[in-house]
Amino acid sequence: MRLSGWQWLAVSSIVLSAMAWAETRPQYGATLRTATNIALVSLDPAAQPDSVAKRNLIRLMFETLVTMDDRGKLRPALATSWQAAPGNQRWQFWIRRGVKFHDGSPLTPEAVAAALRAANPDWNVSPAADSVIIEQNVSDSDLPAWLARPRNAITKRSEGGTLIGTGPFHTRDWQPGKKLALAANESYWGGRPYLDAIEIELGKASRDQLLGLDLGKADVAEVDPEQAHRASTEGRHVMTSAPVELMALMFTRDRQTAAEGKLREALALSIDRSSIRNVMLQGAGEPSGGILPNWISGYGFVFGNGQNLDRARELRSEVPRAPAQTLAYDAADPLARVIAERVVLNARDAGISLQTTTSGASDLRLVRLPLASLNPRVALVAIAAAANLTAPKFTGTSAEDLYQGESGILRAQRIISLFQLPVSYALSPAVKDWNQDRDGSEHLEDVWMGSKP
Amino acid sequence: MIRLQRGAVYNSLIAEMRPFLPGFSRRSLPSLLLLWFSLISASFATDWLSPEQELARKIAAATGPGAVALDVVNRSSLDKKDADEISHGLRTQLEALGVRTVKPQQAAATVEVSLSENLQSYVWLAEIHQGSNDFSVVMISTPRLSAPAFVVEAAPLSIRKIPLWVQEERILDVAVLEETTTVSHIAVLDPEKVALYRFSNGRWQQEQALSISHARSWPRDMRGRLVLRQDHLLDVYLPGVFCQSSGDVPLSLSCRESDDPWPLSSLVPLAGFFAPTRNFFTGVLSPGIGKQASTAKFYSAAPLPRPNYTLWIFAGIDGQAHLLDGVTEQTAHLNWGSDLASVTSSCGSGSQVLATRAGDESRDAVRAYEFPDREPVAASEPVEFGGGITALWTEAKGGTAIAVSRNAETGNYEAFRLAVACGQ
Repeated sequence: MRLSGWQWLAVSSIVLSAMAWAETRPQYGATLRTATNIALVSLDPAAQPDSVAKRNLIRLMFETLVTMDDRGKLRPALATSWQAAPGNQRWQFWIRRGVKFHDGSPLTPEAVAAALRAANPDWNVSPAADSVIIEQNVSDSDLPAWLARPRNAITKRSEGGTLIGTGPFHTRDWQPGKKLALAANESYWGGRPYLDAIEIELGKASRDQLLGLDLGKADVAEVDPEQAHRASTEGRHVMTSAPVELMALMFTRDRQTAAEGKLREALALSIDRSSIRNVMLQGAGEPSGGILPNWISGYGFVFGNGQNLDRARELRSEVPRAPAQTLAYDAADPLARVIAERVVLNARDAGISLQTTTSGASDLRLVRLPLASLNPRVALVAIAAAANLTAPKFTGTSAEDLYQGESGILRAQRIISLFQLPVSYALSPAVKDWNQDRDGSEHLEDVWMGSKP
Repeated sequence: MIRLQRGAVYNSLIAEMRPFLPGFSRRSLPSLLLLWFSLISASFATDWLSPEQELARKIAAATGPGAVALDVVNRSSLDKKDADEISHGLRTQLEALGVRTVKPQQAAATVEVSLSENLQSYVWLAEIHQGSNDFSVVMISTPRLSAPAFVVEAAPLSIRKIPLWVQEERILDVAVLEETTTVSHIAVLDPEKVALYRFSNGRWQQEQALSISHARSWPRDMRGRLVLRQDHLLDVYLPGVFCQSSGDVPLSLSCRESDDPWPLSSLVPLAGFFAPTRNFFTGVLSPGIGKQASTAKFYSAAPLPRPNYTLWIFAGIDGQAHLLDGVTEQTAHLNWGSDLASVTSSCGSGSQVLATRAGDESRDAVRAYEFPDREPVAASEPVEFGGGITALWTEAKGGTAIAVSRNAETGNYEAFRLAVACGQ
């Protein structure tokens, strides 16, 4: 029934008197308490291993010359503009004026050049009056996208030897592997963050983080992919990214013979990704036959990921004396364990002898590879490097060129993709303006703490 | 400094890229973005001919002339109408290249076309099966377009939402400088400049961009205000900075560090001091309301004329409304957001308060209220926005307000003029 104007006004007035005023503009102050399951031991942006969680920590303290927005478009950061010479081998980046490191020293082209040289020994980086110039031996139209990666953040050693940056927060207390306490950078060039401080517990299991959130001891908790649906149905406010982490099987050596290739193909066809997703992942993530998620490439569905047990058995039967193989996984990752065990069962259904291990040398490893960039070419090259695969060769910048590069990696049969997994966070109702990009990047400089409803 | 040839810029779409073509600058980007008026009235038809031709050529090159079975699957955000149009267009283009589409049992090859997409492009690909094992993939990509969606609400006493401007950079305020039947000359304030645009020959063109010089970095949740003046064009109030324009064309803008109070109304002489490193007013008023020289820290303020006094409503940062009449201060819990503006109209009591919606939903709304006494009564239905409201200021003449929202989908800032209309 549609209310008449005056009926509607009367109802509105009653509702008004019953409700409280909730703020909408950001408020300054407060400490955000959070945790991560990674036990970070170095604040060096270039240090391995890479992960979405580590990148989010790095971004709080350190900044890059350029950044990428949620749609993969390059944006100015410590560089206000950039330009390439013909051939894309020589690039010039103009440095933002007035930016200071956390110790109060100015950001200079010399400091930028030194930081980039340290992270990229192959690059020829030189400072100019108000810019830095990067020269490479090869043409690289994606150089700004590479510079947007947190590993290329601009850092500097303070007089005390501490690594410092220019980011929205500075380090107040750093206990490697245990705790990181940050305070707002009052003179941040992008505007002082709303939060006064952030306290981060390191190496804390997701389950314990959720418990802390429920007890009011934390404001943000990481949620494992397989727990995200449940956490949400239990009434928590859960934010989930697009699929940004590739879970895959990596062979530790190149294919040696045609028979080995058949066995690898048989293994890929034996895996029932749909069942694993429904049961182990509780519906999270996406089964994947490709390396890049479909939302980045646009063609990921072309790489088949369905189970074909008949064809797997047929291929297996063509290799009479197939050796038993071992599959390693991270013993600290409970999800990896259950998925590795299910992969072994699927392989056995196809007649492939595979057993799990958590120590020593193995024939395969179950790995998680984070999406390195919203630029698909950079992402593909970075994943290949992280997995020790042959770098893809691109003949151009079209979608078809990207497809050819990714197909080439898959044809080498060093990697069997399983899933693209998202990252999720559960938030306290007091956490406001939580902006999370689809690649899982947080923007805690925009977060503020309001009153709980 | 090395010498770099012009024309080598990597991505001319980046707002902060150095200009590389004569006559092109980032200042022209908003104009390119913003042929908004024409978008509102015109349907947002997309020309698919070029990508259809390109994909058809690639398919034909793979299959050669002959009969194929074609299936088109839409895996993208394209609607059915567009997908059907593309499917039809693709068949037409294939026919022109000698590739006939037939039923599968009559075909020498099967072609499954997927209309997919990634972050920045539509990706259309064709999986081509010829013979028992011959399988190939061809694809093309074409940039994604998104049209802004506008919803004009109708209500008993309604708020009319008139689009003014959209741009990537944060819009702090918009001032309408000239209008006859439609707006034809505006000033747009963003954190780094005041840009003047004129609607001429069917399109918006930038007349001038006046840079704002400032020594200190701006606060997050940046705010700012344009105030039109009689003896010169305008004043600009920014956190810790005040700028004054010249009166003659071409205009110039002179800025200085200043803690001068910001005018809170063009009709009632009251100003408030703004905290230079924050997003709120300190609460100190100039010259004060009667005997009251201050109130709690606040985000915004709205005056309501009464027969013998003016009732001021402040949206406090403490989450309460503070009502000051020159003698007493009352606080009230209302279901409002933190931005208020008052407008005069020929409806109801003649003046209404426009208030944003409470809460932190991604999409905001503004609703008009009347104050018969000290209790607000909703006077209109909420008018919805595509994102959070970032600015709400009463315009110079008092009858309309400027609302700026950040579109949650595009990330662009969209400025609207809000006017209260009587009746449905």
